[in-house]
Amino acid sequence: MHNVNEMPARVATFLAKAEPSWKNVTVDSYEVMTGGYSRLLARAEVSHSLGHETLVLRGDPPKDRQLIETSRQQEYELLLVVADHGVRTPRALHFDPTGADLGTATIVLEYSKCTSFVPWFNAGGSLDGLHLRLAEAIASYQAIPLESLPACMERPASWEAYMTKRIDAWRQASHNHVESLPIFHYVAEWLDAHRPPAAPLVLRHGDFQSSNVMISAEGQFEMIDWELAGIGDPREDMGYFKAVAQAMPPDLLDDTRIEEFCARYRELTGMTELQINPATVAYFLILGVVGTVEQLMQGGAKWATGENHLFTSVFNMSSVLFGQSMWLAAASQLAEPMKQIAAAARGGK
Amino acid sequence: MMFSKPTTEQLLAGIAEQLRTTVMAEIQTEPTKILLQQIDQILMGCSRRAAHEIAFVHEEALRVATLTGKDLGIPASLHLDDVVAWYQRVSTALSDEVEAAFASGDQARIDAARAALDARSAVEMQILGALDLVGRG
Repeated sequence: MHNVNEMPARVATFLAKAEPSWKNVTVDSYEVMTGGYSRLLARAEVSHSLGHETLVLRGDPPKDRQLIETSRQQEYELLLVVADHGVRTPRALHFDPTGADLGTATIVLEYSKCTSFVPWFNAGGSLDGLHLRLAEAIASYQAIPLESLPACMERPASWEAYMTKRIDAWRQASHNHVESLPIFHYVAEWLDAHRPPAAPLVLRHGDFQSSNVMISAEGQFEMIDWELAGIGDPREDMGYFKAVAQAMPPDLLDDTRIEEFCARYRELTGMTELQINPATVAYFLILGVVGTVEQLMQGGAKWATGENHLFTSVFNMSSVLFGQSMWLAAASQLAEPMKQIAAAARGGK
Repeated sequence: MMFSKPTTEQLLAGIAEQLRTTVMAEIQTEPTKILLQQIDQILMGCSRRAAHEIAFVHEEALRVATLTGKDLGIPASLHLDDVVAWYQRVSTALSDEVEAAFASGDQARIDAARAALDARSAVEMQILGALDLVGRG
């Protein structure tokens, strides 16, 4: 997909087949995009008899250069559902599931007119009110009924079962790694001992961080990169966002904004203050990252054993090292508040 | 045998500096610039590791042996492969102790295991230095 000599012709042939009403399809320009760590990205300017399109191609790298392994089929099906429910996200237009036409399994998306949030912030964008927009963005996709989600997505039996599996994923990540990871075992035990009040299962984005949101001219967030999506706890994406923001500011959920964020989210979803508060969000700063951490550690282990040749896999192990110090610090800070929340929840039953 | 100076730490830091100050200016494409920035950070971590890695492992092993009361032995040699194989046994012993501490419900035991983890994390952060997630966003 990154062969800029070959791809324009492939894209033109693919689109001529996928859009029979378009005649004389030509790709005016084709350029590789940066910003995505896990998948190949490219932008194509396309002309045809009915007009002009700017398209984004999102495809799988070769097996030995994959940072993480995820399903394009699931991502494509989910993108259709998410867009159909009015969630702000670039619409998926076409799909080459086998790579027969585009060289690798590829989703063709509309090009977003929004601006990437991190560069926008770094250029001086104002954060005023954006924590409230963030609550609205999260609530928007979490409102999608679970029965509308693609059948291929795993349905947990219950919140309790889901949490047990999610917490155990920390232990499994250590067992499956090329060396034992004692801090992962501590995290699992600590999370188990400090479970928050239950919450309804919802669609979670799975990689909800500032580099996976864009901002519109009207100041609304648009979500991209749904490859790690699943069904889980609604607070996971909040905690994940906060976790990544520790290494890559801004943190829209910092101490000055988190209470208002939680209040707006509760207002939109009807969840209680025991379920959604700064401490439970911070609990998921630890738990919410486990899916990505598992994938990053597997990528690093495969690099160590020679199965993977993507240097980014090594680089991203640094994120996990950084994360470990953050999880330990968060556990220290949260132990008492989580005990109080658990006691209050028991008292309310 | 070999020249011991410049040290491996100095050589790796020197390579990183050359990449940063000389090679970077010649790079034209954004993905390659990002790759070079990642390489820079990894090289600086390697430089810090090269200087202290074997000592760090021994220091941690001593802490874990004291914590668990287990005889963790010594590495077969000071060649890194042997040290790393031994460190795997040290790490497994620490992981086992963490789980046993929580299972016991003994807060003092949990706190002692946590202190060993904090020490491990402090060393990791010393090696890591600053983390810049280049290329994201």
